[in-house]
Amino acid sequence: MANEAKVRAESTQAVETPKTRLAGWFSLIVFLILAGVPFMMTLEMTLIVESALVAALFALATNFLVRDAGLVSFGQAVFYGTGAYTIGLLWMHNRSPFEIGFVLAPFIAAIVALIIGALSLRAREFYFALLTLGFSQLFYSLSIQFYSFTQGDTGIFGIPLPDYLRNPVSSYEFILIVGTLGTVVLWWIRRTPFGLTLRAIRDNRTRSQALGVNVFSVQLAAFVISGFFCGLAGALFIVYQQHAYPAMLNWEASGVPILMSVLGGMGSFIGPIVGAFIYTILQMWVGTETQHWPLFVGLIVLGFVLLYPGGASRALSQIRQLWMKRG
Amino acid sequence: MVSILTGLSTAAILFIVSAGLSLVFGTMRIINMAHGTFYMIGAYLVTLAFAGLTMRATGFVIALILAAVLVSVLGIVIEMFVLRRLYQSEHLFQLLATWGLMLVLEEVTLIVWGPNNVTGSIPGGLSGSFAIGGQSFPFYNAFLIGAALVIAALLWLLLKFTPLGRIIRAAVQDTELIYTLGVNVKRLYTQVFALGTFLAALGGALVAPSTSLGPGMDAQIVMEAFIVSVIGGLGSIWGTALGALVIGLFQSLGNLIAPEVAALAPYLVMILVLIIRPTGIFGKAEA
Repeated sequence: MANEAKVRAESTQAVETPKTRLAGWFSLIVFLILAGVPFMMTLEMTLIVESALVAALFALATNFLVRDAGLVSFGQAVFYGTGAYTIGLLWMHNRSPFEIGFVLAPFIAAIVALIIGALSLRAREFYFALLTLGFSQLFYSLSIQFYSFTQGDTGIFGIPLPDYLRNPVSSYEFILIVGTLGTVVLWWIRRTPFGLTLRAIRDNRTRSQALGVNVFSVQLAAFVISGFFCGLAGALFIVYQQHAYPAMLNWEASGVPILMSVLGGMGSFIGPIVGAFIYTILQMWVGTETQHWPLFVGLIVLGFVLLYPGGASRALSQIRQLWMKRG
Repeated sequence: MVSILTGLSTAAILFIVSAGLSLVFGTMRIINMAHGTFYMIGAYLVTLAFAGLTMRATGFVIALILAAVLVSVLGIVIEMFVLRRLYQSEHLFQLLATWGLMLVLEEVTLIVWGPNNVTGSIPGGLSGSFAIGGQSFPFYNAFLIGAALVIAALLWLLLKFTPLGRIIRAAVQDTELIYTLGVNVKRLYTQVFALGTFLAALGGALVAPSTSLGPGMDAQIVMEAFIVSVIGGLGSIWGTALGALVIGLFQSLGNLIAPEVAALAPYLVMILVLIIRPTGIFGKAEA
């Protein structure tokens, strides 16, 4: 692998903890500013930030798999959709209260991830990407085909929220708190021996195997963790929109969190969060001007990938370094 | 009987499109997500831009070739200005770039020709149907099967007997090898990508008269082409032919027996094959 040296350099960079304390204070300030959003901004702006928060968790969970584990999956939307559909289906068929669905959602997504991961991880590289893509289309078709179970392409809408989440401020704060907890847990997982093993496998699979690492189990665990948090993001989407629909599941939906990570910088932990905000704000802004939003997505992707042939993440870590120097 | 033939005509189109995808992957190791969009542009060109030509069978054949050539010129431009800069970067960025291309090209197609679905018409001389076993079978579907056979034969000749074919086969066997052979890799990649887009557009142009064109058709076909190439083993032409047959037959027979499941069949077949053989039927293990 030609990129090996570069990737390894990046991973050692991620393990080092310079100015951890500063980063901690910085995160707290960002959290407090975000918590104040519904009191300082219009409802419309608050909803944009809310949507970005949901997307940020989805992007973080996807980037955990793509960057830390080095597993390029084009099917993470399956778990995002599963999270949303768990709440929707439980309400539609069982009239289960929101809380039950919300708690179950990430676990159901994790179980689905366990099955898909166990089957997909037998394949490597391109075949892995295509297999996850295939599963994603399978679930997408399932959600459209079985109308009586999922209401087909209209999806399940009008999913009721409990009283305490009905007003926009409380639902916003709920999403912010759950999203932050998810972020903290993902950040912590990266730093555990498990997280380090994961990066070791990514950097040199053969050597890790020789050291006695069970590559398959570790990667499967990473796949399940990513699925769990994608599912949690899907559950948060219900708090934001009260609607589960098939387009949440298809492969374009799986590309979006990867794109967000690239936009914000895959190499850094906060990159996907930044990317989710950039993407969401761009979407709202461009979306009101023109209906050709996909054209802009395409141009953004191309612009990024082409202007930085070494990979967008490198450029962004450069920007980040500059930014660190300034801050 | 007729549904088997229908399956064969579906397989014919799938084969032509997937062969292009598979050749590009086999030689260049690029998964081209925009492949379906070249198919879509081919179909739109034949239906809308060359509408006058497509009234008669001979004009239609000219329109087919014109459309495929035009799209392969577009392919060359894209290879030279976009893909060429990505061969050294990670797979993920290559995937993202072709995905970006797909989004851009699809939107531009829809801006040029409008977002409404359009229906083509089968040229005179190729319309009508004939009877087989008491049921009627459209003549055009038989034409598609014939076209696929001709293209398969031409591809076989190209790969077996031309210098370009030899290099492509070497590249499929061992991608690194071609760098040591003194081959002009730049030119090779351009040629292969042009061939790939030519085949995609030809598939789209062939299917245009008998179907309705609209947004999303590119995502649909590119998924099916992925499945076909993956089942057969990326880079293998014979695998692609086999994969196309399996998917084509599954779809048409599935439609007869259980229409709900038929839509899922391709994905199920792909997952099944990859679980048994993670690199496809004729695929070799990743180095």
